Amino acid sequence: MKRVALLAVLMVATRAAAQEPRLERVDPAARAPVAALLDSARATGLSTEPLIQRALEGTTKGAPADRVIAAVRRLVADLGRAREALGPSAAPPEIEAGAAALRAGAPPSVLTQLRVARRPPLTMALAVLADLVASGVPADRAAAAVLTLASTARDADLLEFRRAVERDIALGAPPAAATAVRLDASARAARPGRP
Amino acid sequence: MSFPRTAHPQVNATVDLGASAVRYDGFLPSSAAAVTPTFTWDGARGGLTIRGTYLRFEGGNRSLQGSVGASVFTQPVRGWRGELSASAGASSYAGFPSFWHALGDVRLHHDSDRHGLVIGATAGRSSFGTTRPARPVAAASIATWLRRDQVAVLASVHRAFIGDTQYSDIDMTVRARQGTLALETSVGARFWSRGAGRGVFGEGSGTLALTERIALVFSAGRYPTDPIRGSIAGRYAAASLRVRLHSLPHRDPPRLVNGSGASGDPPAPVALAVRPERDGLVRLIIHGPAADRVEIAGDFTQWQPVLLAPATGGAWEALLLIPRGVHRINVRLSGGAWLAPSGTTRVHDDYGGDVGVFLVP
Repeated sequence: MKRVALLAVLMVATRAAAQEPRLERVDPAARAPVAALLDSARATGLSTEPLIQRALEGTTKGAPADRVIAAVRRLVADLGRAREALGPSAAPPEIEAGAAALRAGAPPSVLTQLRVARRPPLTMALAVLADLVASGVPADRAAAAVLTLASTARDADLLEFRRAVERDIALGAPPAAATAVRLDASARAARPGRP
Repeated sequence: MSFPRTAHPQVNATVDLGASAVRYDGFLPSSAAAVTPTFTWDGARGGLTIRGTYLRFEGGNRSLQGSVGASVFTQPVRGWRGELSASAGASSYAGFPSFWHALGDVRLHHDSDRHGLVIGATAGRSSFGTTRPARPVAAASIATWLRRDQVAVLASVHRAFIGDTQYSDIDMTVRARQGTLALETSVGARFWSRGAGRGVFGEGSGTLALTERIALVFSAGRYPTDPIRGSIAGRYAAASLRVRLHSLPHRDPPRLVNGSGASGDPPAPVALAVRPERDGLVRLIIHGPAADRVEIAGDFTQWQPVLLAPATGGAWEALLLIPRGVHRINVRLSGGAWLAPSGTTRVHDDYGGDVGVFLVP
């Protein structure tokens, strides 16, 4: 009976691997559950690529099957929440970046605000948001920083602003202060071009 | 609130190459060519700025100015942050005696997302030439700022005493940013002045970023005498090319990461540098490890370990096709444990360890 059950699991796993060859690398005990999660994600319109990558990451790191399954299941949930916040028209890279932002601690409302404030693609803006929050910057301050620039800044400007803002937010200043306040006379004396 | 564990120093070095038409009060108009190198270092709790200007006037006279300033911030307490700063500088023009100054400042900042208040006090010394004694400097200022979207407005009042000279300034500055263009304009007035002139002044400048490293800077206006730093009032119009000499670093400098080396010795610093090149290719460079083999794995390698090639300076590198966006990476030294390199944002990987997250712009 045990052999039959084992054979059944192997057959399911083999079928799953045939549909997604990269799953052949995954622990056989995790293969079928992961394939089922992929099918479920696919059915709801989510991209399966980040899920496959998460399973492969666990495989490379020697994680046990149950941990691989839990990681993929958690990512499915994160992607779903990100898609809900960003809307059904969000592209897979945007959803993935949004999931990273949510996992880092950004509230879903910020993703929704970003969708309103900025024309697609939102990938870089979401990635900058996730990066700031994951770095330990308070989520509300990171969100304020990104939302302030969302409507007008290019992706390159966002990246550059992220570098400057991270430092100033770390000092407790709202991101607005990073560019707004240059008080002292030495700043006036340093006006560009003044001979 | 504690400082983010990955708050990291940022270095910026630029040089402005420009030309200007200037008329100092009491002098004939002149044109000048200028070279202005600037170095800034912004750390987790403060910063350092070093700036110099070499001016060559059409008549052959030269002017040399230099300054250094540093500031340190305190942790915020109930919305208030303290700032301590110090600055020093000197200038010389042709055969005139030189000016130098050394100042210390204390400021209190109270900020919110859209407005703030700054109260400051300054004390120091300023000297003109070597035959006269340095004069004491004392000043106080208060400023408030407002910000909405990409526009910020700053208004300040400043009262200064330099020996027998004293003056008050009131001014307003507006800053706006739209894409690659940054504009700044200010108007002000000097009053209650003895020995520092009085009247109205105003300046405007625009900085247009052409590429990541090159910008055009335009400025013009009239500015008042600065008795502290030894500059006399004048009017000018200037244009310059700003070249960034040093790229902003993507991440932290190399530092210890979790996990042990294969040899069991204390872990070596491992840092990742990401260099996008053309056609979607990205050069990944690992700095720091003393290892006989360095591998990376990430979503862009399908989590298959990829052996890096030795590069110059003890680094290891690979040139890979990596699409724009967010990516995860780990590094392994000499077949040891998978590590999250500095130079990335370290997050829990759902597998009991860390993974490094980085952006490809």
